[in-house]
Amino acid sequence: MAAQKVRALLLTVLSASIALPIGYFVAPSTGWAVFSVSLGLQLAFQFRQFAHLDRWSRSPAVDVNLEGEGEWDGVFGRLYRHEKDLRAEIARRDEEISHLLAAGQALTDGVVLLDRLSQIQFCNSMAESQLGLVVRTDRGQHIANLVRQPEFVAYLDLADFSRPLTLRSERRDGRVYSIHVIPYGNDRRLMQIKDITHTDRLDRMRRDFVANVSHELRTPLTVLAGFVETMQEIELDAEEQVRYLAMMGEQSKRMLSIVQDLLTLSSIESAPPPANDVVDMANMIDKLRRDAEALSAGRHVIELESDGLGDLRGSESDLASAFGNLVSNAIRYTPAGGTIRLIWRASVQGAEFAVQDTGIGIDSIHLPRLTERFYRVDRGRSRDAGGTGLGLAIVKHALNRHQAILDVRSTVGAGSRFAARFPANRVLGL
Amino acid sequence: MNETQHLSSQFDEELNRLRTHVLQMGGLVETQISLAIEAYSTAEISSIKSIIDADRKVNDLEKAIDDDCAHIIAKRQPTASDLRLVLGISKIVTDLERAGDEAKKIAKGVRRIYESGQMPMQYGVGVRHLAEAALALIRQSLDAFVRLDVELARNVIQADSEVDTEFKSIIRQLITHMMEDPRTITTSIEIISIARAIERIGDHAKNLSEQVVFVAEGRDIRHSKESAA
Repeated sequence: MAAQKVRALLLTVLSASIALPIGYFVAPSTGWAVFSVSLGLQLAFQFRQFAHLDRWSRSPAVDVNLEGEGEWDGVFGRLYRHEKDLRAEIARRDEEISHLLAAGQALTDGVVLLDRLSQIQFCNSMAESQLGLVVRTDRGQHIANLVRQPEFVAYLDLADFSRPLTLRSERRDGRVYSIHVIPYGNDRRLMQIKDITHTDRLDRMRRDFVANVSHELRTPLTVLAGFVETMQEIELDAEEQVRYLAMMGEQSKRMLSIVQDLLTLSSIESAPPPANDVVDMANMIDKLRRDAEALSAGRHVIELESDGLGDLRGSESDLASAFGNLVSNAIRYTPAGGTIRLIWRASVQGAEFAVQDTGIGIDSIHLPRLTERFYRVDRGRSRDAGGTGLGLAIVKHALNRHQAILDVRSTVGAGSRFAARFPANRVLGL
Repeated sequence: MNETQHLSSQFDEELNRLRTHVLQMGGLVETQISLAIEAYSTAEISSIKSIIDADRKVNDLEKAIDDDCAHIIAKRQPTASDLRLVLGISKIVTDLERAGDEAKKIAKGVRRIYESGQMPMQYGVGVRHLAEAALALIRQSLDAFVRLDVELARNVIQADSEVDTEFKSIIRQLITHMMEDPRTITTSIEIISIARAIERIGDHAKNLSEQVVFVAEGRDIRHSKESAA
């Protein structure tokens, strides 16, 4: 600072010392003129530098080095460095923040950050799809404006976040979320959204299973016990005895088939990976068709759609029981006069065995639960049709063991199509 | 300067609270409708009581919000977009409340059907589809209100006519059923009144969306060509 003051003073003294002799020897007015011109030049120089700085400060750029002249150089240099450092720092922090945000995006759980007023500050794309948010337009919106379910609003209002809230999604059909709100910072909140659809379903299936097994076995047992009691207490004539015994036989057969299916299921579940035998599909399909015709007893038209190519690698008995179940279901749920079509398509991309019927069809709300044990679309009907409620569970497990998936399409009143899709490495002989 | 800023931010907060209350009411109505659909398709009539109970809450909220609107207009004398918001809200809550009433009607109809030992499934699969479409319209129109998304609101207005068409085809289908088998008449009439209620929900969603356009753009498109689309 001092150096600049001295310099400015020296320049003034210099101009004065030039102007003074001129004023003395030539004319005082000329002296004044020289003095003011030299001061003016100084002022012009300063103003030029000021204008330069002014221009720069309006839009500070760091791509061109900011240089000043004279005493301004130091000032410009420091300002320029300061600006440059600041920018580097901002860029570094931006990068850090973007890393953090990317980490937030990478989470497999949904995350929403809320401010003091429960307004959305940030949410990752998982949360966007889970809750139907659009971060671009919804930042600053109150979260309850968009997640409007009363349970959620109550949870947020109550502000007791010691346990998570289980919420059935309204926007994404059938998904179940566990929402945990975690307070942090000063009055901010982090909302973590976990998709627990799968575990929720498993829980329910386990609960239902025990209840269902007991129920399914109790019904025939009650009937059986009733007949036994009747026969013990009442003298029956021979004809009636035969009739009662026939009914008792029917009920015990029913229980037997339930137990049989349960055993099949548990053996499929616990057995080692299936054998890698070659399953002759032409033969298998032929057998399935014969079984179908026997079961249908001429009430349905059975069609075959197969070029007879391609075989599967796997356990013949597992596959036979899976395919057999699909075929017998189709016959059971198709009214007389309907058509059942067995389809086998094999290609190098994979193979598909499908059973298509023109039966009663299944409402789409049942489709996700169809392979659960004892799940029944229509309780009365399926038991009348003689099902144990385990068929599709067996199919699903048998197929899973062959890395195949079960694809079900159905329209109520128009019919269903159950397809087992096998991956390419299970298909051979093409 | 400081004083007015303070006042206006307090005003903003009041408006935000009003909006949040409307959406809270919307959430209740959405849940009412979706529970009613579930009751219809799963024969689970235990939730019907909660649908009817929620209606009381919806009514209370409607009154409270209307009061707030009157209060804000009297005290703050809002202008331009703020005024439109308040006016729009006072109409939106009316439509929401009526949509809630329709949900209650559906629930009661479902209860009557199941209590008489009938299963509507065999005639009215289309009804569930219709109901889901109407619920989606209510949800979208509320979303449009939150985001003041005029485009979404216009989509709802157009989609409502699809609901109307679907409603008419259900009626035709049911009439055929009734002619074929007169024993189904009682149930069919119940289903018709349910379908009618659903169709009304679609209409309320449309009205709601028209109000969203009014709030956002200041244009009243009711009964115009745009809304007839």
